[in-house]
Amino acid sequence: MSLSTLTKPWEAMSYGFLDGSAKRELRRKMLKSVAVPGCQMPYASREVPMARGWGTGGLQVSLTLVNPQTRVKVIDQGADDSVNAASIRRFIARVAGTHTTMDTLEADLIQSRHRIPEEILREDQVLVLQVPNPEPLRPVQPNMSIARQMHADADYGRMWLQLYEQIVRSGRVMQGASYPSLVNGRHVMTPSPIPRWDVPKLHMAKHLTILSAGREKRIFAVPPFTRVEPLVFSDVPYKVEGHGHLTCTRSGTTGFFMNEIPQDDGSSAFEVSDSEWGVKTIRAHDGEGESRGETWYKDGEMPQ
Amino acid sequence: MAYVATRGGERAIEQSERLFREEMGSFDRYRVEEVKKSLPYLIDRVMGEASLYDEDLAALALAQTGGELYEAVLLLRAWRTSQPRLQVAAPIEQDTLFTHRRISAAFKDIPGGQVLGPTLDYAHRILATDVLQGETYAPDPVEPAADPSPAYQPSVSAWQADNDLLDPPAEDLTKGNDIPDLTREPLLFPSKRAHTLQSLARAETGGVLALGYAAMRGYGQAHPTVNELRLAEADIAVIHPDGRQFSAGRVKVSQAEVVDKKGEKLGIGYAATFGWNEVKCIAAATLDLNSPGAEKGSATEEEFFLYHTEGVESSGFCIHFKLPHYVTFQSSLDAMRDAKAKKGAGASKQQEPAE
Repeated sequence: MSLSTLTKPWEAMSYGFLDGSAKRELRRKMLKSVAVPGCQMPYASREVPMARGWGTGGLQVSLTLVNPQTRVKVIDQGADDSVNAASIRRFIARVAGTHTTMDTLEADLIQSRHRIPEEILREDQVLVLQVPNPEPLRPVQPNMSIARQMHADADYGRMWLQLYEQIVRSGRVMQGASYPSLVNGRHVMTPSPIPRWDVPKLHMAKHLTILSAGREKRIFAVPPFTRVEPLVFSDVPYKVEGHGHLTCTRSGTTGFFMNEIPQDDGSSAFEVSDSEWGVKTIRAHDGEGESRGETWYKDGEMPQ
Repeated sequence: MAYVATRGGERAIEQSERLFREEMGSFDRYRVEEVKKSLPYLIDRVMGEASLYDEDLAALALAQTGGELYEAVLLLRAWRTSQPRLQVAAPIEQDTLFTHRRISAAFKDIPGGQVLGPTLDYAHRILATDVLQGETYAPDPVEPAADPSPAYQPSVSAWQADNDLLDPPAEDLTKGNDIPDLTREPLLFPSKRAHTLQSLARAETGGVLALGYAAMRGYGQAHPTVNELRLAEADIAVIHPDGRQFSAGRVKVSQAEVVDKKGEKLGIGYAATFGWNEVKCIAAATLDLNSPGAEKGSATEEEFFLYHTEGVESSGFCIHFKLPHYVTFQSSLDAMRDAKAKKGAGASKQQEPAE
């Protein structure tokens, strides 16, 4: 036996960039967050070769979960070709040798910023959401230690009060994205800044969602088949963005979340936010075959 | 018409990086060497904020980023975190520091003397424009003192503790791998003492200064007196796997003690960092002095100043606002338009509720 049989050749970088101890910690914290759905677990959150606030939390989770067989999809605002999504995708492939894909159905792991794809995710898929601010209580309590205590006490009174005040002042809940939601009937979480359109997709979903905030060093999860209920009053129903009737000017698809594109004549055009859904729709129209999977929304409505 | 997706993303980011690097051109180790030689205080600052003591790597990071400080620190942090933790060095006591500069504002003279050491404090800040005319800037040579000042001195606070003027912090006997390590665990509050000092040691200089200055101007309860400010070199002693202790070299460190009267005793604030960085140490020690009992949410509360002086996090978050946010923006627009439409439709029949 020689020393070389006991060791591996020196390499400039660990597989998947993160070293073994960082990955072990992340796995432990992921398991904890799955065990207590919606509860924020602090983790060390190592620096990665990307700026904080640019998806470093999601990236650490992805780097921990991938292996060379994993097919990875990365989107930002629903688009695969967004510059930061391209950068993250390239980095994961570079340090972990993974396959990349833009097809939601083909992906094993989807890292996303601000969107959940329109096609239904399966049991074998993992969605990793990048989270800028993991604390739904931040608007009513910026101090993290106090907010942590409030979660422990399930003290969400000020959260409800804030929603009530919005209804009183504006006639509706004014929360745009990041709609606070009760997970498994216990912890209020932010679903990350996904639009209200996407929150119902998390409810009793088949896939695992891991939400990771690198800068704020918090990780939380929505395990498969877990209740995710937006905070609403019984007499004021939850309302998603009114995009159900809009049609994409590029692909012709109707009934999905859209990007509004201001036009020179003062009007607006719309294009579908899930860029790959748009591509698949065009391919189908052009007779290149049907590659679209089943979607959460049907005819612009989320089935109850 | 066939749909052509914009797949320009990858090419665009590649070219934008090239454009940035074009200005610096190609460089080799001679430029790194030149940066290291000519900008030691910048190197010190970067090493402190990166919490990585390596002058060559710090100079390389500066050369590679064209002096974009936050980027340089991030490069070093990302490199550092991928390195294994091989050893924890032996604790360093203040009286074992090889001291270059040690001053106290609290007493006219202190045991060991006021040692000015290297400083620009009393320089007249006049720009040496002659250099641009072709002159060489040649500093006058140092005249060594007949009696060199003693290299090793205890801290001023040790004298004060002996004279019952302050209660020294309880000795922390935690050793080796049991010492909490901020780079391997999250910062939680109330913060562990080790985490607080580590966090201040690698805090962003400008951020610490801004909040420390706010405390000094009156947003803090305590007014700092610089008990001792020290620039020194510390011997790094580590244990060889065969059990012998050996020196892994010396590192430049700076530390500050600031005090204020608290009842019948002095309260003390402390900070230390890699490299020589006086402003950071005084400001950080001032925050430390002010933090016990500080009001939640005030600039001198530990949670507030430790979170907000973390340079890699704060700079990263600041520049992340450049990323597209059109989905969240669209979501807000939808809520605004709907509320407006509701108001228009219901204005005549509905009474405004009391606010």
